[in-house]
Amino acid sequence: MGAHLARRYLGDAETEPDPLQLPTFPPRLGLPERRARVMVATAEELARAQVPLDQRDFCAHHLLRLMRCHRDAFPVPWQCHDLRHAWDACQHHDYVMRMKEFERERRLLQRQKRLRQREVAAATGE
Amino acid sequence: LDTTLLSSSLLLTLSTLLIPVFTQLLPKTLKSPTATITSATKTAFLISLIPTTLFIHSGTEHIISCWEWKPIMNFKIPISLKLDLYSVLFIPTALFVTWSILQFASWYMASDPHITKFFLYLLMFLIAMLLLTIANNMFLLFIGWEGVGIMSFLLIGWWHGRAEANTAALQAIMYNRIGDIGLMLSMAWLASSLNTWELQQTSPATHLPTLPTLGLLLAAAGKSAQFGLHPWLPAAMEGPTPVSALLHSSTMVVAGIFLLIRTHPMFANNQLTLTICLCLGALSTLFAATCALTQNDIKKIIAFSTSSQLGLMMVTIGLSLPQLAFFHILTHAFFKAMLFLCSGSIIHNLNGEQDIRKMGNLQKTLPTTTSCLTIGNLALMGTPFLAGFYSKDLIIESLNTSYLNTWALLITLLATSFTATYSLRMTLLTQTGFTRTPPTTPINENNPAVINPITRLAAGSIMIGLLITSFILPVKTPPMTMPTLTKLAAITVTALGLILALELSNLTHAMTSPKRNHASTFSISLGYFNPLTHRLSSTSLLISGQKIATHLIDLSWYKKLGPEGLAHLQLSMAKTSTTLHTGLIKAYLGSFALSILVTTLLTQTP
Repeated sequence: MGAHLARRYLGDAETEPDPLQLPTFPPRLGLPERRARVMVATAEELARAQVPLDQRDFCAHHLLRLMRCHRDAFPVPWQCHDLRHAWDACQHHDYVMRMKEFERERRLLQRQKRLRQREVAAATGE
Repeated sequence: LDTTLLSSSLLLTLSTLLIPVFTQLLPKTLKSPTATITSATKTAFLISLIPTTLFIHSGTEHIISCWEWKPIMNFKIPISLKLDLYSVLFIPTALFVTWSILQFASWYMASDPHITKFFLYLLMFLIAMLLLTIANNMFLLFIGWEGVGIMSFLLIGWWHGRAEANTAALQAIMYNRIGDIGLMLSMAWLASSLNTWELQQTSPATHLPTLPTLGLLLAAAGKSAQFGLHPWLPAAMEGPTPVSALLHSSTMVVAGIFLLIRTHPMFANNQLTLTICLCLGALSTLFAATCALTQNDIKKIIAFSTSSQLGLMMVTIGLSLPQLAFFHILTHAFFKAMLFLCSGSIIHNLNGEQDIRKMGNLQKTLPTTTSCLTIGNLALMGTPFLAGFYSKDLIIESLNTSYLNTWALLITLLATSFTATYSLRMTLLTQTGFTRTPPTTPINENNPAVINPITRLAAGSIMIGLLITSFILPVKTPPMTMPTLTKLAAITVTALGLILALELSNLTHAMTSPKRNHASTFSISLGYFNPLTHRLSSTSLLISGQKIATHLIDLSWYKKLGPEGLAHLQLSMAKTSTTLHTGLIKAYLGSFALSILVTTLLTQTP
């Protein structure tokens, strides 16, 4: 909780990524089979459902199902608990993916620093 | 069909409220005006559930109706009403709370000779508040804004024979007026730059300058008693308890926060305004919670608690979560109104005693009231799965997981623990311990006019959080992932506050004299704010006025520079030349003859 901010001020700022400037490395560096994420819900579907702009993310298809269930199951709210859990779980996995991206960025910065130090050592050693 | 049904039922709700106002103008008297007004509010509440249900079920974004009323040729009042989630949820909540308060007031103010006027004032306040809520135009909002301010003045000063009540009413007007400067500033800016007062036209896609947003912030700070403009809220406890319950806990004081929620798109991109909201809210919540720790008047404790929760709502606005702030307004209305009604029941049953040091062991004599007081305090503290939990815990979680000011975060957590402390202190001193009340008190809570409103609001305090979260989806995704300590932060600090309160109350049993240190003196004297600001500002104004009147005008313009100064100048010149006036005619003639002779001789040139 805020450790990454403390590390930027007190620790080594060079190897700590800036949360507002992610990502700085190419996304497929070291991961050749990586594919770009695809949104399941289409833009027209989201526009027709009038989903708020902030919530049109990679979990929006769960939200659409949830909104449909709320509309159909009114006034009984407990029928949509499973879909709500699915949406929340998707948001959780999204957050974990973002944290993993942050960690990847940090390790790549550390690797970059190590490579630079090795170059400097080789240049001064010679 | 849906829209017609919605609009017609809403119209019916509002007209049901207006009926008692207009029937009072008729010559014949009704059999019981107070009962009529209470039942009108109850009917309006039941009818208002129809548009709310229709709105939520149909998934409407908002319904705006634009109309102009032209009394004379060149003057038009824009009656443009906006029904969105906020107004459609606020109306039944306000009506439910008002119904309970009116029913309670029929018992509390039963001995008052002008009880009908009291009820009509409350009704007029409610109408002004609902007007403020459904206004889409800043002008209409301003009418509602000023309307609630005026009714607040009249109701705080209800017992106008009491000097403190008059002072408190005037204080409320003064502080609200300072806030109104901000509102008028932003209205003037909107009219001159954007040429509109309609809310949907005031949030352009481009970046809005900071000045109008700061004006709105000042207006909210004045109305919602943020730090700097807060002294009127504890002073407003001079009014009767139903007034405190309706105005100064549930409805009027949230008008400022409601304004910010309505105009949130205007400053959602303005980081400066959001940061000021956050920091001002955090400061207000901590300051009010600190002041509440050492209060001995039960109503003042609840008033400072209100001020603290308003600061929390301002923090939520600063986090860019207007829907969550509105959710907190709704849940807060229920348990705060109930806390005030319980305190009113206790006060009346103890024959006017408001000091908690003179109450004790009321659990045995007022079981229902004290149980509901406990439920209200638990809801206020954010006990899991009561009403306050759903809004307050979400706010604290969002605060912990946001990328923002750590100071505001720590201050808010500290204020949350203080909330637990003063709530437990109030509960312990009123309900438990030895009986410190006089032995002959008219304690009797077996009156449906007392019990029904309180238990109704208690049921609301328990259920409303669950109800709202079940039916309304959040428009900003709530944070789902955080470390365990962060998730439990709110309940941990609350528990720490409770333990601290228990420890302190144990200490007070053992100690003989109260400890006086700087912190307690700060808390007891409300941060020295009242004497500092009230005396400094008025004395400086009066002294400068005196200086202008006497030194500038009287002394400088009249004496030194004006007529007296001119006369003085003439007089000094006359005094120097007066010695030359000897009065000897022969000497003057001789000097004339001599000068003529010399001139003739000199001018004669041979």
